[in-house]
Amino acid sequence: MRRRCAVAFLIGVTAAGTACREASRANAGEKQEAELTAREGRLAGALAADGDRTRGKPLARWILPPELREVSGLALTADGRLLAHDDEQGKVFVIDPRRGVLLKKFTLGDRGLRADFEGIATAQSDIYLLASNGTVYQFQEGADGAAVQYTQLDSRLGRECEFEGVAIDPDSAWILLPCKNVKMKGMRDQLVIYRWHPERSDSSALSMLTIPLDQVVGSNGWKGLHPSDITIDPATGNYVLISSQEKALIELTPAGDVVRSVNLPGKPRQPEGVAISSDGLLIVSDEGTKGSASITLYKWPFTPSAASQ
Amino acid sequence: MRPLSQIIDFMTLGSERPIWRLIAYYGVLAAVVFTLAYFIPATDQLLLGKGLDATPTQAGPLILQDGLRDVPAAQSALAAGSLAGLAITTALVLVGTLLLMLPVSWVYMSARHVPGHSQAVVQTLIILPLVVAGIVLIVRDSLALAFSLAGVVAAVRFRTNLRDTRDVVFIFLAIAVGFAAGVQTLAVGAVLTIIFNFVLLLTWRYDYGRNVLSPTAASRWAEPLNSLANEDDNGSVPDRDLVLTLTPENADALADRFERVSDVLGNRKKPRFTAVLSIMTDDVGEAQPRIEVVLDQMTRRWRLDEVVTHTGKPSQIYYITRLKKPVTRDQLLTAIREQAGDHIVNVDLETRDPTDEDVRIST
Repeated sequence: MRRRCAVAFLIGVTAAGTACREASRANAGEKQEAELTAREGRLAGALAADGDRTRGKPLARWILPPELREVSGLALTADGRLLAHDDEQGKVFVIDPRRGVLLKKFTLGDRGLRADFEGIATAQSDIYLLASNGTVYQFQEGADGAAVQYTQLDSRLGRECEFEGVAIDPDSAWILLPCKNVKMKGMRDQLVIYRWHPERSDSSALSMLTIPLDQVVGSNGWKGLHPSDITIDPATGNYVLISSQEKALIELTPAGDVVRSVNLPGKPRQPEGVAISSDGLLIVSDEGTKGSASITLYKWPFTPSAASQ
Repeated sequence: MRPLSQIIDFMTLGSERPIWRLIAYYGVLAAVVFTLAYFIPATDQLLLGKGLDATPTQAGPLILQDGLRDVPAAQSALAAGSLAGLAITTALVLVGTLLLMLPVSWVYMSARHVPGHSQAVVQTLIILPLVVAGIVLIVRDSLALAFSLAGVVAAVRFRTNLRDTRDVVFIFLAIAVGFAAGVQTLAVGAVLTIIFNFVLLLTWRYDYGRNVLSPTAASRWAEPLNSLANEDDNGSVPDRDLVLTLTPENADALADRFERVSDVLGNRKKPRFTAVLSIMTDDVGEAQPRIEVVLDQMTRRWRLDEVVTHTGKPSQIYYITRLKKPVTRDQLLTAIREQAGDHIVNVDLETRDPTDEDVRIST
């Protein structure tokens, strides 16, 4: 009899605890949803606000989980979700940048691809992940926790450059690869951006955009420029680059004209990735050199008053 | 500790078996942790090794912390950055360590092959992990503090001798649990201690790894049995430590044997039986007739006292005998070894004459 009482007591305690837990979770879920709605509202309000009050100042900053401490490239999908990845593992994180929610993550390859990953880009449903030696991995978005298959594309440009960023030109389908460190003698005073079309095999498969560094640096006093990521402004089609070393932001036309060359706002520790949304959000990832990594949202474009040009 | 003991008594239906009491304790502990996790959700993170100030990394949607605003309300109560949060974190870590080490100390005291234990070791098992956890909490990720700690420890030298080498394992476990608690991975410490305790209890319960040449229970009990049977002993318990180490069931069995042996050996001017023959064998059926042939030839009389069978280890056969006058102990044991040597592991003969020297033959 006592044994039955003990078992019944334990079952009762477990059932009551489970019920309380579920109720608590439901309550917490409602609070979280309210917080996310408030975040979205604050961001929308800041974007709609006009004037210098919001330009060049962070609208939101989301602290990334430890897995993304070495966050590198950023890219936006067509529906406005943000893709991010870390430095060493082929693991892609999908983030809602407006609400600050990590939606899901998936990996490349069944065993988890490892390389020195530096940049990510999207073109319709395709995603491209760049390694520093110029190898590009093409794949489709996967479900949460899934392992997706990939196609490896070798640009064979590893001897000419070390790469840290990638973008896809939506009009021409070029893969844009800016050189972080130019290895070719005679080209080191140039900002070099390769345009590569992996499906072509003739001489039109590869071209090079070069801009003299002194034009890019302008009056900023940087000793060089080492682009760490590139993206394309959906509104203008211009190329927007950031440099982690110089904490710089450069905007170029596809023809190579310098539109703006400014210091990045705020005090980023190690800005590694950049993306721009169609509604005017500039998103910059900041690697966690000490502490957690983060992504920061700014209003785009900057006005000349937002940073020294 | 009285209420906890009563709860465990209730859950084990008053059983004194260590394994049931241990299961009951961990059941109570799990219920407490469950309740705590319900009222203070951030406790989950403390248990799962992420620390109260860490961001969880589970699969699925995850709300990212807002870097421009205050930390979320759910975490602010226990955030390690606040003074109260730091105090609560430390208290939870230390209390958790204490709760994990209590059963370890119980197992240390109860599951022993050698009578007696060191109180200093028991207290060390409770205190050491608390200190280690505190140190790790202070050092955290600081390399400078770690080097400072190494310097301080190097300056404070102490050494002690432990009676049992197994005590060292307990000390290592205490350090490991202290580290686990210090880095806020109490779940690891919990799993570690639970598995450790049950493995240790099972190895103790089944006498795992016992050397077949080591003294048997029969040889340990022979002296008190014979002393008890001695007319001059006035019925006093001869080996108090031995009796204290017994479980109630074993003590009852021993008392029965005392009574039985006393009946046949003691309280007579001319006792009918003067010796206890104990044999360890893996094959009772084969060994018993061979031994009894020898007993028929070499003893004036004999009687089968008891056959104790074990699962997974040799069984024991006990005879009470009176040797023929010209037959010595050595001759009897040698004859048994020759007759049944292939089927026995160990044979002992204890006589009531205290001047006789025990002879043990191992095959």
